[in-house]
Amino acid sequence: MTRIPPTGSPAQAGPDLVLQYRGVRKVFGDFVALDGVSTQVRRGEVVCLIGPSGSGKSTLLRCTNGLEKPDGGEILFDGAPLPSDEAAMRPVRRRMGMVFQSFELFPHKTALENIAVGPRIVLGFEERKTRELGEALLAKVGLSDKAASYPANLSGGQQQRVAIARALAMEPEVMLFDEPTSALDPETIGEVLNVMKALAEEGMTMVVVTHEMSFARRVADRVVVFEKGRIIEEGPPEEIFERPKVDRTGEFLSHIGWSA
Amino acid sequence: MKLDWWVVWQHRDALVEGTLVTVALTMVTMLIAVPGGIMLAVMRLGRSRPLALASASFVEFFRNLPLILVVYWAYYVMPILLGVQLDAFTTGLAALALNVSAYNAETFRAGIASVRKGQTEAALALGMSRWQALREVVLPQAARRVLPVLASTWVSLFKDTSLVSVIAVGDLAYNAMRVRSQTFRVLEMLTAMAVIYWGLGYPQAKLVDWLHRRFGVRE
Repeated sequence: MTRIPPTGSPAQAGPDLVLQYRGVRKVFGDFVALDGVSTQVRRGEVVCLIGPSGSGKSTLLRCTNGLEKPDGGEILFDGAPLPSDEAAMRPVRRRMGMVFQSFELFPHKTALENIAVGPRIVLGFEERKTRELGEALLAKVGLSDKAASYPANLSGGQQQRVAIARALAMEPEVMLFDEPTSALDPETIGEVLNVMKALAEEGMTMVVVTHEMSFARRVADRVVVFEKGRIIEEGPPEEIFERPKVDRTGEFLSHIGWSA
Repeated sequence: MKLDWWVVWQHRDALVEGTLVTVALTMVTMLIAVPGGIMLAVMRLGRSRPLALASASFVEFFRNLPLILVVYWAYYVMPILLGVQLDAFTTGLAALALNVSAYNAETFRAGIASVRKGQTEAALALGMSRWQALREVVLPQAARRVLPVLASTWVSLFKDTSLVSVIAVGDLAYNAMRVRSQTFRVLEMLTAMAVIYWGLGYPQAKLVDWLHRRFGVRE
């Protein structure tokens, strides 16, 4: 049996801040997407970013792996500021996994090839090794029987599980989830959340932009509430969901139908 | 009028030879113009402005000139520009390759642009370089989408190669016309030529239709 790659490192002594955000700003034309955001993510922590649409959660996530460049402030990964040029960003991206709302599986590749392509192209692993890795990861997300299927023949939930396996194939130190269940049919949301929950239980560091409040409530170590490009409140889920200190947090939660 | 079909059989060697030249011209032109078109499209979509401008100028120049003019131009101007007198086949090939590369560039540009931005982002997020993302993720998807268009270009090209006969490349059109002027058997030779072009072109057109159905609109 193949060794399943370790997902998430055990908490280490010393500085265990994986991500630090210091006054991050991002502007799109006249629209201020991030207006000075500061927070941090510890190793092994699951942080859920919640808040209304357009409040900056996804932008912060996309700035984290350099798909967007911040206009101000800085982001530190493992203690070092993110490099500003594309080439220097590549080794950093390898250490972060990203899962997209719209899956973005490669439609011309099978499920197995989707998972194998990162290790093969980026890490230069040989074919046999990437196949074993891919099979192990498909088993991990419960899709061993779908190795030869193309994305078009998979349900949304199955596609997103393959996308998670694809990100895990790079053995990332942190996983970034950008609304991973927002494009899914209600009946397939659960299977994706279960995979994510299992990942969290293994100790993976995760930053999750989500509208699934029950997931945030049960799985997150910390919840960060965004509004208009700012963090209005952050804390442990029981505090945020049951005794929010900021009125706007309570209003947001009741607006989306959450009742403590 | 009395028709003498025997003349066609008598000159079969010239016709067969011309047909082979026509087929060779079509194939070699495409062998140059497909990579050429990809290169021009990538230059046009890349982040270097001088390269994008160079590509756009090339494409707009050759796409908007009549092919026959490019053929003459290659025949008279290329020797002056390059300082070497190329043989007729190479000159005709160059003219066709320049023209079809320009068309293919636009085809590939549309194909590449039709691949969602998220696909490139997913590749970059894995740690791929822009070039790796292009080669591994974007181009294979673009190629599938442009395959039917490329096939149509191929069929047009197969017929358009006849234009190089004006500079005495011994293709099917040139050879048939030569036999015609030697024997004065106009109708017979034109008919033979039509039968050969049609007989070879029709299966290719059918293949294009099949490619359209197979790869056309699918997502």
